[in-house]
Amino acid sequence: MKNYPIWKSFTVISLVLLGIIFAIPSIIYDENSENWFLKNKINLGLDLQGGSYLLLEVQLDVLYKEELDNFVDSIRLISRDESVKIEKIDIQENEVVVFFSNKEKIKDIRDSFFQMYRGVSLQISNNRLSIKLNDEYRKIIQDSAIKQSLEIVRKRIDESGTKEPLIQRSGKKRILLQLPGVKDPERIKDLLGKTAKLTFHIVDNENTSALQNNLAPFGKIIVPDMYDENTKYLLDKRAVVGGENLVDAKGSFDQTEGHAVSFRFDTEGAQKFGKVTTNNIGNNLAVVLDGVVITAPRISSAITGGSGIITGNFNAQEASDLAVLLRAGALPAPLEIVEERSVGAGLGADSIAAGQIAAIIGMVLVCIFMILIYGIFGALANVSLIVNLFIIISLLGTIGATLTLPGIAGIVLTIGMAVDANVLIFERIKEESLKQTKVFQIVKNGFDRAMSTILDANITTLIAAVLLFAFGSGPIRGFSITLSLGVIASMFTALMLTNFLVYLYLSISNKKELKL
Amino acid sequence: MFGLNKIIPVEPNINFLGLRRNFLIFSILAMLISIVLLSIKGLNLGIDFKGGTLIEVSTKNTSIGELRDILSSSYSDVSLQEFGNEDIILIRLQNKSNQESIETVNSVKNLIQDKVVEFRRSEFVGPTISSELLLRGFQAVSFALIAILIYIWLRFEWQFGFGAVVALTHDVLFTLGLLSILNVEFSLATIAAILTIAGYSINDTVVIFDRVRENLRKYKKLELVDLFNLSVNNTLSRTIMTSLTTLLALVSLFIFGGEVIRPFALTMIIGVIIGTYSSVFIAVPTLLIFKFRPQDEDD
Repeated sequence: MKNYPIWKSFTVISLVLLGIIFAIPSIIYDENSENWFLKNKINLGLDLQGGSYLLLEVQLDVLYKEELDNFVDSIRLISRDESVKIEKIDIQENEVVVFFSNKEKIKDIRDSFFQMYRGVSLQISNNRLSIKLNDEYRKIIQDSAIKQSLEIVRKRIDESGTKEPLIQRSGKKRILLQLPGVKDPERIKDLLGKTAKLTFHIVDNENTSALQNNLAPFGKIIVPDMYDENTKYLLDKRAVVGGENLVDAKGSFDQTEGHAVSFRFDTEGAQKFGKVTTNNIGNNLAVVLDGVVITAPRISSAITGGSGIITGNFNAQEASDLAVLLRAGALPAPLEIVEERSVGAGLGADSIAAGQIAAIIGMVLVCIFMILIYGIFGALANVSLIVNLFIIISLLGTIGATLTLPGIAGIVLTIGMAVDANVLIFERIKEESLKQTKVFQIVKNGFDRAMSTILDANITTLIAAVLLFAFGSGPIRGFSITLSLGVIASMFTALMLTNFLVYLYLSISNKKELKL
Repeated sequence: MFGLNKIIPVEPNINFLGLRRNFLIFSILAMLISIVLLSIKGLNLGIDFKGGTLIEVSTKNTSIGELRDILSSSYSDVSLQEFGNEDIILIRLQNKSNQESIETVNSVKNLIQDKVVEFRRSEFVGPTISSELLLRGFQAVSFALIAILIYIWLRFEWQFGFGAVVALTHDVLFTLGLLSILNVEFSLATIAAILTIAGYSINDTVVIFDRVRENLRKYKKLELVDLFNLSVNNTLSRTIMTSLTTLLALVSLFIFGGEVIRPFALTMIIGVIIGTYSSVFIAVPTLLIFKFRPQDEDD
């Protein structure tokens, strides 16, 4: 080919071939293929394949408040040991202020307290000790809570049988979940909505006045019944043993009790449980889940085997879900769902079909239009446009990008905008053809002159797309990806492929004059 | 080939800038009306920015009225809307808190279970998230405008950057005004559309500015008004061609792309038309404020 270096032809042809070959996996789209090549296909976003997107927020305030309560308990114990009387304890949003009756031993108390809670800010003024949750201490609580929550959420989701979930931290106190193909998001939300903190407490049946006045003495708590809010129990605040000592839990069925959850303790748990049940025969043992009593049976004999069952008015699903929660462990703090987007498979499939039709019709219209306006040159630009589409698809597949519904819109939009570079070139060629007659010089000038305009024009679009990626979320990012790839691919196809095709056409047709 | 390109003459000579006063008045009016509309009527915010719950269902043997009767007995602020065809219904609810929403979705599903073939989607956006999304959308648009301004400033003289930003502000305001009149839902996708419009409009403007710069070097003696007119005319067929192909693709998306994407496509169509108009009738005339000649002589 005259006026066209061989290396350049080779580069263009190989890039085009690569673009077409790597689009194949996404076009065939065999979902289950393990073939290394066919695996390089486009990932469909949740809005196209169906599934749930959930954003959960860890309720850190609950943890901070819990920690302040721990401070109060510890300070009471320490001052009891030191035989110092406490006059008043003031719990504020961020700090606990303790007023002692005398100030002699206040420094010792402070030091003992600091041994237990390193990192808190302690301040003494006169007979007052203030314990403050400072930012660093809060951050420690926050980080460990998020880490634990992530782990527990992962376990619960795995137990629920969801395939290929994506679970990651998002920002300071949030967890992002993407669950492809989930049919019943409500059940998942139920599983995540429970803290599942399980504890066993001895019931205090003697102090009936405390229950009547609804005022728990130090070391005790009042907890309502799960099924009847008006039934209340007075329990030892200290748990005998908790869910962290469980090694297994599963739903079971008992002839007399109905659906139940059977569980097994680890060695430590079994020992504690055995000891307490031995010492408390005749008393009641309350099973507390997330602040309510599920059941409080009387201990008729010592349970030393380390296993037992929890009965309640469960149905089969409830029992098995509770078992899932107990196996996965308790969340350090409640999770709140702050955003949810669930799409059924039907809508996803409809969206894909509609997107394909829109893309094909848009493509056909643009192609017809280009031929009407630019004739044979328009046809060459159309070849570039089609290759452009293949390149976008293959890039999406090889970089493992996710195609979303806005992403499809981005592709359709790109079809309309991609011809722009070609149009710029052709218009330049048209102008050049008025100035001179040498065919190859006209074409060369046309491409050269259009080059800087094409770069300027496309870079501004890229800026908008990149910022959209930085600030956008979820599906919108899909749009910025396809738009960016489309813009980049269109620059290549116009400046290299159309260029090549025009030279090829002129060489073959051997035209002596150029009329666009 | 078919000679259709001859409809647009190779060297058209239309006096665009002669009409600039009329168009300037039109655009200023349009922007003022947009501002008034945005502050009085506002935008039809979707759940992305307002928060709330949205459920899309496909139904059988029922009507929107029947579903409304069932749901409004339990919820006072429920609104229903046919979506594409009469079997597909969108249900919107305004929730007060995050916790409430989970229960809401569940109980709505239970209430209409036997009328529904498929729950196509359910979305919930909590109050904290919706205000965050709004802030981020606002940031994205402002940063994009600033970044584009900086790029134009680096590549051209600053006067061009000024012209481009005037045109962009015009496009964004005008588009938002029309969205307000037409009551098009304003969602995350709309933010994407507005950013793309900004990119597109600036793309159009840059092509003309490129030519202005080239002509400034080429025709040292030509009056500025004539030079700008010439530049617009030089690039006219490209401006029209690219807008038309983009509009063809967008119209196809609007008609065939499905109900969910329709507001996006509509916003883009409006924006592309406004962006094309502003490149010719706003961006270029703005350059007339500046005197380019003294600087040119330094070259």
